[in-house]
Amino acid sequence: MMHDAESMVRLERVSKAYHNGIEVYALNEVDVEIKRSERVAVMGPSGSGKSTLLNLICGLDVPTSGHLFFEGSELSRLSDDECTRLRREKIGMIFQTFNLLPTLSALENVALPLRLQGQSRRAAESRARDMLLRTGLQERATHRPDEMSGGERQRAAIARALIFHAPLLLADEPTGNLDSHTGEEILGLLDELHRDLGMTILMVTHNESAAAHCQRHIILRDGRIVRDYDSVLSPLDSKAKSG
Amino acid sequence: MRRALAFVTLRQWRQHGLRLLLTLLGIALGVAVFFAMRLANVTLLSSLRATIEQLGGKATLQVVGGEAGFSPEVLKTVRATPGVQMAEPVTETIARSELPGADNLLVLGLDIGSDLKLYEGLFDENGLVVNNPLAFTTRADSIAVSQSLRSRYGLKDGDTLSLDTARGRLRFTVRGFFSMRGAGSIFGGNVIVMDIYAAQAAFDRGQKFDRIDMVTAPGVAVEAVQQDLRGRLPAGLEVVRPDLRGQNIENAVSSVRLGLAITSLLALTIGVFIIFNSFSISVNQRWKEIGILRSLGVTRREVQQMFLGEAAVMGLIGSAAGVALGYWLANGATRIMSAISVSIYGYVSSAERPAFRWDYAAAAFGVGVFASLLASWLPARAASRLNPVLALHNIETRQRETLVGRPRLALGSACILAGVLLTKFSTPRLGLLVQYTYALLFQLGMILLLPKLIAWGARILRPVMSGAFGAEGVIAVDTMKRAPRRTSATVGALMIGLSFVFSNGAFIQSQKSGLNRSLDKSVSADVLVTTSEQIRSRTYHFTEELARRVTGLPGVKGADTVRVTTLAYNGDEIALLARDMNAWFEISPGLLDEGDAQRAHDLSARGDGFIVSNNFSLRSGVRLGDQLRLETPTGPLVRPVVGLLEYYHSDKGTIFLDRELYKKFWQDDAVDYVMMNLQSGVDSQTFKQEVQRVVAGQQRTFIYTHEEYKQWVTRLIDQFFILTYLQMIVAIFVAGLGLINTLVISVAERQRELGVFRAIGGLRRQVQRMILLEAASISLIGLITGLLAGIFNAYFLTRTAAVMIAGFNLPFRFPVLLALITAPAVLTVGLLAAWWPARRATRLQVAEALACE
Repeated sequence: MMHDAESMVRLERVSKAYHNGIEVYALNEVDVEIKRSERVAVMGPSGSGKSTLLNLICGLDVPTSGHLFFEGSELSRLSDDECTRLRREKIGMIFQTFNLLPTLSALENVALPLRLQGQSRRAAESRARDMLLRTGLQERATHRPDEMSGGERQRAAIARALIFHAPLLLADEPTGNLDSHTGEEILGLLDELHRDLGMTILMVTHNESAAAHCQRHIILRDGRIVRDYDSVLSPLDSKAKSG
Repeated sequence: MRRALAFVTLRQWRQHGLRLLLTLLGIALGVAVFFAMRLANVTLLSSLRATIEQLGGKATLQVVGGEAGFSPEVLKTVRATPGVQMAEPVTETIARSELPGADNLLVLGLDIGSDLKLYEGLFDENGLVVNNPLAFTTRADSIAVSQSLRSRYGLKDGDTLSLDTARGRLRFTVRGFFSMRGAGSIFGGNVIVMDIYAAQAAFDRGQKFDRIDMVTAPGVAVEAVQQDLRGRLPAGLEVVRPDLRGQNIENAVSSVRLGLAITSLLALTIGVFIIFNSFSISVNQRWKEIGILRSLGVTRREVQQMFLGEAAVMGLIGSAAGVALGYWLANGATRIMSAISVSIYGYVSSAERPAFRWDYAAAAFGVGVFASLLASWLPARAASRLNPVLALHNIETRQRETLVGRPRLALGSACILAGVLLTKFSTPRLGLLVQYTYALLFQLGMILLLPKLIAWGARILRPVMSGAFGAEGVIAVDTMKRAPRRTSATVGALMIGLSFVFSNGAFIQSQKSGLNRSLDKSVSADVLVTTSEQIRSRTYHFTEELARRVTGLPGVKGADTVRVTTLAYNGDEIALLARDMNAWFEISPGLLDEGDAQRAHDLSARGDGFIVSNNFSLRSGVRLGDQLRLETPTGPLVRPVVGLLEYYHSDKGTIFLDRELYKKFWQDDAVDYVMMNLQSGVDSQTFKQEVQRVVAGQQRTFIYTHEEYKQWVTRLIDQFFILTYLQMIVAIFVAGLGLINTLVISVAERQRELGVFRAIGGLRRQVQRMILLEAASISLIGLITGLLAGIFNAYFLTRTAAVMIAGFNLPFRFPVLLALITAPAVLTVGLLAAWWPARRATRLQVAEALACE
């Protein structure tokens, strides 16, 4: 099959089953395609398969059946190291609990993927500083996670996720641990970055107002996609157009 | 409530089996070494004592006179003393035999012509069974062998057996058998009996006896006869009760025993660290569980009791296993100690299997349980003081541990300073126990400062690791630093273990260095000839005639014939070296540390003065110019001390006197060493062959050049410290266990963090490298702190303990080579310890780890 240059991620009849005495399908024959620069919100109740979908897309987990393509490459054909490198350089991830390494400063956390790639400390931290500047954290560069607020931690996590200018950003409940005001700030930052960098965003969320920042909504239930639709305009777009 | 908490604990154990196993192993090893050393100690002593007591038979008193023995006149005096009902002479010789597994045989020379009633206590009810008594007494090659030897080697009446004698290897004929009382335990049954006069001839004892056994008449106070005999006999002969003779031997080997007692305690200390480590980790890991329990209504005290109860049960199981393991280890330790006893002190004991001692087992068991409770007390208290609300927010709170506070820092620094100053300036008169507290103070100070030292170490290491290993290096150092308490316990165990290694290494090195210096000054002969492969033999000696033939060989420039024996002085068995003073001073110029060399030479060569070792002077208080009184088999001998020198032959002290003076007072002309300087141009190896030719077939002979002699002495020192070396290995092994424990927990605790690391692009091998680097960082800091503590301990051992125990003023030598070897060895142990946890970390399921709390 020819690779569609516009296709970022494509799932073909992807299933993921867990065996805990009985076989439970977290995802069941899911077909979906995510295009470049799309902003997609994945919604659904607990246990619907949202996190499983994210884990499969970033190669942290493997499907039980079906095919998963990332920029045309089937992930199951990649070795663990290739998959990890892909994750490092092409997929940024942000989490509900931020998941910054507690002993490293904001700057070191952001520079970490570059250093894991083998870049020198000086070069990595120089690029990390740029990202911190972009996410508004330049003043907190030397602070450790426990010295920062929740919003600042998530900004640092976003900076780390995008240090490689990854074409895909996976966000797992990015505002779940933040108050509504801070959550809005973070979503605003994501919108801004999307506008500037044009990366694809796949965001798992329970939050309707967070989902409203995305132009496409996928609703999951019991491991199946029950709705997949484009919202007419995301709030940001509507604001931009009216402005 | 208790049952419920016990249930929770049991589930924990099931879930963390490896941690449980490592902790139990730590306790078991600590207890095992402690128990094994004590058991080996007591087995050796009881073996030595039992040998002496059982050989006394029914004797109520014994006359003994050192190794030189005494003349038959003494027997006449004893028999003529009122109150002595029976008195029989005895010779005791340890002879080498051809029997495999019975290299050393105890040869008892008894007066077979007597009715042997005195020896009824020695033999069983059948006594000595001799088919042809006439042949036994009239033929000098007759021997009777123990039933134990008979059954083991299938010996029959008329069989022959070869023994090394003063006249070379001779064959003896079995003409009798006997069973020994006490299950043949003396010497493991490796005993033969000869007629005393045949034994004197075979072992070149002239007419001398080693001992007179006597039975006092019924109704007569033994003490009264003892007093009477002391008045009649020269003071150099001891009149003692057989059961008290063992005490002298106990004193003689006291240094080894003390050293081993200290090192076995150290092994236990390392075990305590492992337990502490394990429980600290357990509390840290169960932070949230504790929060839940507290929120469910479990009181602080109950939480503390839960942990202490867990420690008690682990202590019970670990200690029981330790006692069993220790009993097994004691077998090997006893054999090694017996070998040391032979080679260094010349005491041969039967290498018996240690008898299980319930009192020692109970003590070791109790110490193990107590140590477990002690080590878990702080973590248990920390658990009970947890804020339940914070604890329930497990992830955010448990990552931080408080660093040391100022009081701890101040106390630690004060302890170190006090330890150093007291060791340097305190008077030795305070006693070893008080002095030992200085070393403990220093160690305690180091332990208190460890978290801070780790933090400093991490600060230095971080940029280095960052430069060398990138992000993995940084995270490894940070992880180590993040849990200062957990890391402290591991580094502490390493530090104690390594300080033990370095300090003992330094002590041994210092001993070797001191000994070499002393040998260069005082034993500078080109060639040395001796009768034993040990420091000395109580059995084999050269005759003067043979020594003369050796020293008369062409090419000999100067010769010193030396008799090495012992003498009771102030309750200690000191070394007595009788030598040709003229020759000694000529062969070894500049040997004195104190005293005018020419005057000392003249006076001592004339028999008008003694030379003594520095440690004898230090221990006895006898100084240069003081009159020294020695009790000899023929009466007191008083001479001034005319010179002092550094000499390490005996930890109790050494006295040198002229050979002619010795012969006169001890009536003994045996020779143990022949030391010769060769004329220039004479090749020492060719000369050795000449000596070999002269002594061939006459005597077991060992010939060394000066350098070979020094190497041989060094080997003996290594043999002396073999148990210490083994304990050093155990210490490192136990510390390695602590490291595995720490890293396994570190991996388990950081699952989510490792998951994040993998999620953002960390490769499996980078995870592995990170764990290995963490182990390397811990090992490195353990190495450096161990080195620091080791240097102090070595200073303490050489400057204080050596002076206190043996009066040795050793030069301080740090074992640079050992440190250079140990550094990579410890890093290797650290990396090996990390291998499994690292492997485990790489197998982490990232998605699951990210979901992990």
